[in-house]
Amino acid sequence: MASVRRTKSENLFIRYLILGSWALFCLGPVIWFLSIGFRPRTEIITPQPIYISALSLDAWHMIWSDWPMAKYLRNSVAAIFGSVVIDLALAIPAAYSLARYKYRGREDIGFYILSTRMMAPAIVAIPIFFLFRNMGLLDTIWALMLIYAAINLSIVTWIIRSYMTDIPKELEDAARTDGAGDLRILWEIIIPAVLPGVITAAVIAMIFAINEFLFTLLIASTPDAYTMSVALANFTGGSDGLIYNAIALVAFLAFVPVFLVVIAIQKHLSRGLTMGAVKG
Amino acid sequence: MNGSHLSDMGAASAAPKLPTLKPAFKRRSKRLRAWFPYLLVAPAVIYLLMITLYPGIYAAVQSFYAVKFGPWNPVGFDNYVRLWGDYQFWGALWNTFIMGAISLIIQCVFALTLAFYAYRDPWVKGWRIIFLVPMLFMPSAVAFMFKLLFLDARVFADILIRIGLIDGNLAIQSSIWGSRALLILTDVWQWTPFLFIIFVAGLQGQDEEIEEAARLDGATWGKIFWNISLPLMRPVIAVALVIRAIDITTMFANVFIVTKGGPAFGTETISFFIYRTGFKFFNFGYASAASVIMLIITIVVAQLVVKRAFKSGKD
Repeated sequence: MASVRRTKSENLFIRYLILGSWALFCLGPVIWFLSIGFRPRTEIITPQPIYISALSLDAWHMIWSDWPMAKYLRNSVAAIFGSVVIDLALAIPAAYSLARYKYRGREDIGFYILSTRMMAPAIVAIPIFFLFRNMGLLDTIWALMLIYAAINLSIVTWIIRSYMTDIPKELEDAARTDGAGDLRILWEIIIPAVLPGVITAAVIAMIFAINEFLFTLLIASTPDAYTMSVALANFTGGSDGLIYNAIALVAFLAFVPVFLVVIAIQKHLSRGLTMGAVKG
Repeated sequence: MNGSHLSDMGAASAAPKLPTLKPAFKRRSKRLRAWFPYLLVAPAVIYLLMITLYPGIYAAVQSFYAVKFGPWNPVGFDNYVRLWGDYQFWGALWNTFIMGAISLIIQCVFALTLAFYAYRDPWVKGWRIIFLVPMLFMPSAVAFMFKLLFLDARVFADILIRIGLIDGNLAIQSSIWGSRALLILTDVWQWTPFLFIIFVAGLQGQDEEIEEAARLDGATWGKIFWNISLPLMRPVIAVALVIRAIDITTMFANVFIVTKGGPAFGTETISFFIYRTGFKFFNFGYASAASVIMLIITIVVAQLVVKRAFKSGKD
């Protein structure tokens, strides 16, 4: 009995050693990067790294006064919000069709939608760039909105579709015998029933839109349409090099809201990340 | 099934004399009924065709021209012939593959190990939140974080010197494998949580009674995991790895910020190659030819691998 117990506590020790080391590996760079955001520029890149530095709010003042940070924030929020609205408007009917009807070509249409998720942005970057240039949309948040919506449409559709297939058919049938039309059933019964799925899809789409880099880099060539993700890459002081404390602060500025909404949908996260394939 | 659908409609037309019982949707013509699901899915499909089919055709046409910013000059298959002999293009394909494969294997092993230790732990929710943190930063932010940590502020080298592992400086930037390792590490740090979250969910979704029965039979925890839980997890692992593989092969922000493809093009991925050719040297026709090759590879992989993974993941 004693030997069994010892192996058990040894197992526990190994478990917490491994999980603890990974937690340290995850949080170490984050905490250190946070400290970068609150130090003066002179103490960031030094011959000997400085671990404990003076506290400074330089970067905080700089991002709001030297750069139009408020504008970048507004651009990000507008482009992301707009793209999620477009996605939901297109994806909910599409998901309903894929989940609830049987028709020829359904599997192929569903797979086509999924397969757009696989396309490297770089493959379509040049044509999209010229398309937006010809439409006069370069350097506008409208172009960003359209492209974010396109990137996320497959994910949003598949997540919502997955939740819709879970709804018992009887729910609809009951409404149908009461005389409700298909669209009314979708609006009054299906959508409320899959609301967690819709929210999950919206959150995942939001994260990917915030993260998007290549298209934003190509489309937004002046600060008029910069979002947080690309603004980061432009925090340079010319010959002085990168302004890391400002970069760090903006990184955390984008992190906090994402962290909060993800905590809120934690239960649905694995299902959202696998586009509905893994039910958590 | 299709049949039950048709019989639904048959019932509707058979009972026209009871108007109060006639559901609203059945008033529509049969033809509209048949088209209705297509109408629902059409807007999304059309939208996606605009960003896939249109650019695909555009790139295919452009790949037969020499395009700077001026007029398009037809050059036949020249761009493709040039690609065939372009060591930078082959190098980019190789870099994408080798960095992606190494990164994916490491992430999968780490995530499975962590999931194995965490999924029946009383504090699994806490571990999940902590491990999630790296994933929730913008990739561009993570790229800068690691660039500063390893290259610009040299914190990593400093720590190694303090521990006494090395005595000079670390030449990460000037070494191809050093730079590749840095990109791989960045990806592992940020995206192992992605696999971890999915694996934990998959393991937690499994029937606890099977494990319990095996445990009563005297099987150790590790044995149960290896022989029972892991085989059951195969579809979940397949889907998660496929998604991760797609995202790794399209890696761009890290390369753009941390290494710029260097040294000696040793970390240039295919995405970066297309970007550089098109938007730095303005060889749009040539970049389009590379895009077309990538598109073909994507379609083949999608048909062969992704379709299967998602089919098995569904049931």
